[in-house]
Amino acid sequence: MTVRFLSLAVKALKQAIRDRRSLFFLLLFPVVFMVIFGFAFGSPSSLGTGTTPHKIAVINLDRGATVSVNNASHLVSAGANFTELLGNVTYEGTDTHMFNLTNVGADQAQTMLKSRGLDAAITIPENFSQAVVALTNASARAETTSDIGLQVINASGAQAAATSGQLPTNATLPRQSNVTAQVIVEGDTGSAAFGASQGLIFNVLEQYKSQIQATAVREVDATLAQNQSQTNVNYISAAVKPLIGTRSFTFFDYQAPGLIVFALLLQVSSVAQDLARETDRGTLARLKLSNMRSFDLLFGTMLTWIVIAVVQILLLLGVAIALGFKWSGGANSIELAVFIGIIGGIASISLGLLLAAFATNERQAAQLGVLIAVPVSFLTGAFFPLPNETLGAAFGTTFQVYDLLPWTQVADAIRQVLIFGSGLGDVAVYVGFAIILTAILFVIGVISYARVRLRSE
Amino acid sequence: MFGNVQSTEQSSDHTADAFALQVQGLTKRYGDLVAVHDLNLQIRKGEIFGFLGPNGAGKTTSINMIVGLLSPTSGAVLINGKDRAEVPKRSIGICPQELVLWDELTCAENLIVMGDMYDLPRAVTNERVHSLLAELAFSEKAKTRVSQLSGGLKRRLNIALAVLHDPDIVVLDEPSAGLDPQSRLLLWDFIRSLKGKGKTIILTTHAMEEADALSDRVAIIDHGKLLQLDTPGNLKKTIGAGDVIEMQLAEPEQNETVMNALKSVQGIQEINEVAGKITIRALNALSRLPEIIELVDATHGRVSDISLRENTLEDVFIYLTGRGLRE
Repeated sequence: MTVRFLSLAVKALKQAIRDRRSLFFLLLFPVVFMVIFGFAFGSPSSLGTGTTPHKIAVINLDRGATVSVNNASHLVSAGANFTELLGNVTYEGTDTHMFNLTNVGADQAQTMLKSRGLDAAITIPENFSQAVVALTNASARAETTSDIGLQVINASGAQAAATSGQLPTNATLPRQSNVTAQVIVEGDTGSAAFGASQGLIFNVLEQYKSQIQATAVREVDATLAQNQSQTNVNYISAAVKPLIGTRSFTFFDYQAPGLIVFALLLQVSSVAQDLARETDRGTLARLKLSNMRSFDLLFGTMLTWIVIAVVQILLLLGVAIALGFKWSGGANSIELAVFIGIIGGIASISLGLLLAAFATNERQAAQLGVLIAVPVSFLTGAFFPLPNETLGAAFGTTFQVYDLLPWTQVADAIRQVLIFGSGLGDVAVYVGFAIILTAILFVIGVISYARVRLRSE
Repeated sequence: MFGNVQSTEQSSDHTADAFALQVQGLTKRYGDLVAVHDLNLQIRKGEIFGFLGPNGAGKTTSINMIVGLLSPTSGAVLINGKDRAEVPKRSIGICPQELVLWDELTCAENLIVMGDMYDLPRAVTNERVHSLLAELAFSEKAKTRVSQLSGGLKRRLNIALAVLHDPDIVVLDEPSAGLDPQSRLLLWDFIRSLKGKGKTIILTTHAMEEADALSDRVAIIDHGKLLQLDTPGNLKKTIGAGDVIEMQLAEPEQNETVMNALKSVQGIQEINEVAGKITIRALNALSRLPEIIELVDATHGRVSDISLRENTLEDVFIYLTGRGLRE
């Protein structure tokens, strides 16, 4: 005796395979998208440039520095000053801020960079203030010594000897220090948005350094002769740190996992159409008269579409790799991506059940499926990153409105797994939410379908 | 009160032996529309029960309630004396009016899926698939996809699917629709073979000839109500415009005299002259034939040709369902 749900799953799989037109729609349609997107976005794009604010995170590790002025100690918090400057700086001739600062920790910043929730993350080192003090001292010292030297040159030999080493009565020559600090600008080096952000950040940092130097020189010049001095020591520097897995990253690398989710979403239409066809043809009535239970039909249907989802994911991934998609993590990441994809597939099946419950015929079910699947694909960020529409924060993560869709979580998780080689632990929050949201949708879909279609009329 | 319940149960126990299916006060309402009104039927075990009615009479609604696809507004369906819900689903098999098939599967695959749905062991299913395809004469199409079958073969597969699980009661809703005469005869033989195996068959059809040929008893319903229930023979004898006698006299100029004389014969419902012939309609006309011949002789008429066409089930059907006689 064959288990009923297994028999129904095999039946549905045979039907799906033999229905060439539907199979084309289901498997090759997303492949066509993948190919088009691969060609269109397979090279670095210009997206993210212009005079729009860049989303950046500042991780300020600066411990500050103590300086003595007139025998009084002052705490200098240069990291906070620089952060404030980044938050206030605007594009020339406009009121538009260059950066939108996000207040997150280092781990969260990493996560957001991977999902392109951030354009760049700046890490201000612990000794940033010390380096700023060192730069100030060095600038003041250079200016001071330069002024003294000028006076020596301008005076006679005897006077020079007399004035040599004369400083203003209430000042001492600033100490030379060799403290250096490096600001790290991290991000996806293949992203145009990062490229633009990085350039702007470097620019702002240089301006900041110039201001420090200018201030120091101005203070010296207030007591000594005017002069133009310059310190050649680079106390503060900046360096780019590419996000792991993003070297030579293209926009297509962002889209390829999204297209897998798009394919999974197309299942909504196919599942709804298949189940509506069972109703239209009367085969559902025939099945209802047999020993078949609701569980057999629903579980059988789910099994079939899970198999199709796995084929879809592997096929699309193969095509994406052939088109230059760079994936990390080896076979493990593919296995994990397939697992996460199955969750997305079940979410699609659930929505398909819901549509099949209320669609009046097969055609309407298919049309409704497409009508929902395509916009939802965009809402999940499958094709393009979405703007922030913050709903709230939990578990150290900021949630957007579209995060309520299980496919958004699936897309983010698959993206992280495939691009960055993240493990299940790294994407546990995404997967957890995807499972919860899918379970809710599944319960709604199953109850609706069972009530409307599987009961006696 | 307890006495009444006991009495009913006793009655049920008694009828359970005789009746495969009992329909008690079955009613289905859709708002103000009463699709089936207080339908009562008792279908004997092993009989072929013709269930006739014009389109929209409530046949399919009744059948859907009988098999469990539709919940009745009121009333009950008993199978072998037990409430339908308590009886295993395999007790009933239905061949719906529409072709209810999975087009992408082969004939054998369609049957195997339904075998699995009725929990038949695969070996038993395979054996039944083999025998059913042979009985319905399309064994060579076992591995052909349904989408590639002709309408007639699809109809045969539709029937095979209804009986694969060997049900006690088989409901055949318009099983011969669209079949050519050869296929129809094959189907009739198959239905008779089911009866021969002790199956109870409920047959709905618009082909009165089919109902007449196959049915042991016939129920005619219209507007959701049962109009008549009897054997086809009794229905034809007792209901309708009657048999038709066509008589040609050697001297047609005597037609009027003979027609006036025949008006005195009881049971004659209509006398006309059509193309020089006298046409007489009477219920059970055969029994009245000697009296008619006597009257013709009495008027010195001489019959050169006479024929009798019996009242048909279609005549009965049309009479009952309120339509005029069509010639």
